[in-house]
Amino acid sequence: MSDPVDAQGLSDLPLEDLVACHECDLLMRKPELAYGEKALCPRCGYELYAHRHNVVQRSLALVIAALLLYIPANFLPIMQLNILGQSSQDTVWSGVLGLFNTDMQGVSIVVFLCSMAIPLLKLLCQLFVLLTIRFNIGRSYGLLLYRIYHHLKDWGMLEVYLMGVLVAIVKLADMAAITVGLGLACFIGLLLVQVWLEVVMSPHQIWQALSGEDAHAGD
Amino acid sequence: MRAIDAGILICTECHELNRQDADTDEQTCTRCGALVHARRPNSLVRTWALLITAAIIYIPANVLPIMTVSSLGQGDPSTIMSGVIQLVQHGMIPIAAVVFIASILVPTFKLVGIALLLFSVQRRQPLSARQRIWMYRFIEFIGRWSMLDIFVIAILVAVVNFGRLASVETHLGAIAFASVVILTMLAAVTFDPRLIWDNTESDDDHD
Repeated sequence: MSDPVDAQGLSDLPLEDLVACHECDLLMRKPELAYGEKALCPRCGYELYAHRHNVVQRSLALVIAALLLYIPANFLPIMQLNILGQSSQDTVWSGVLGLFNTDMQGVSIVVFLCSMAIPLLKLLCQLFVLLTIRFNIGRSYGLLLYRIYHHLKDWGMLEVYLMGVLVAIVKLADMAAITVGLGLACFIGLLLVQVWLEVVMSPHQIWQALSGEDAHAGD
Repeated sequence: MRAIDAGILICTECHELNRQDADTDEQTCTRCGALVHARRPNSLVRTWALLITAAIIYIPANVLPIMTVSSLGQGDPSTIMSGVIQLVQHGMIPIAAVVFIASILVPTFKLVGIALLLFSVQRRQPLSARQRIWMYRFIEFIGRWSMLDIFVIAILVAVVNFGRLASVETHLGAIAFASVVILTMLAAVTFDPRLIWDNTESDDDHD
């Protein structure tokens, strides 16, 4: 870890040798990291950056897996409900439609954005960013899309939706017979892949690769 | 030493360092092209505005009913709190606890927590920087979970759809509740955590 107290010479060093904490603005000498290590801010504990192996290939594999799971997760039934011989199905999409048709357009748009649109846009941004790095084309669009991705990040709420499914199942359990559908398995798969992807795709390395500072990024 | 003292600005989007340019008001990041500021402009005022709006809407969100689950033509409108009470009465304590935490504790904690952060940044009181940064991170992390009730409503509306036999109706409270969650999330995004450390007397108090 670098020493933040040795401050006299810091402002004269070239920017490449410095790092500043995004959350508390502490300026430090940039530490050299080996693969698998990460640097934390000594003052507030924020993760400055991590250095991981094969970021691009591993992330690409995960993005594609997530995109494949996306359609079944959203359009296959999550659960089926039976009351007195009648049955109804629930998918993520039918939830959005149902709300829209009960004069709750505002809420239905929020649900649509948080559970379907933003998770998809995030994955597409990530896919495009990784492809521009891999094939070394269109980096400027890659930079823009990666910025968009960071703005969307907080608003995709798949894990909260999954908890919502659990609560709904418990609420309905004594009212009707419930069967869990294939959609739920795909949804959980999508959620796990996406969390894994967020861990693997270390932002610092992606930014460096996008700006061409790291010549071997696409390998 | 803070980056701002060395005339260095961190890009809020890609975390690249930029030397401060004295001539321009609107400096852009050399790497990603985003606007860079030493501190987010008007961070405190904007956060206060969002927070106060959220606090006002918080009242109808909790008082108005959010939905009615009716079976065989019977069923009363339920508010967020009465939904939790119903779960407790049915003996489903763990899930009641989850809903209680996500829908009642978290929004309340966020409103109070962000207000405390703003107060302590403006008045240099009464929490230590370390307490404040943990509070900020907790609020940022936990905020999204309040959407839980909204998703539950969406699922119930879709699945409980048997006409007169059983159906779910939504009410205005749901809109108010969703607005509170979104407004408090926006308030957490607008708040600049670097302000927390600006007001500590010494910036070497990390150990």
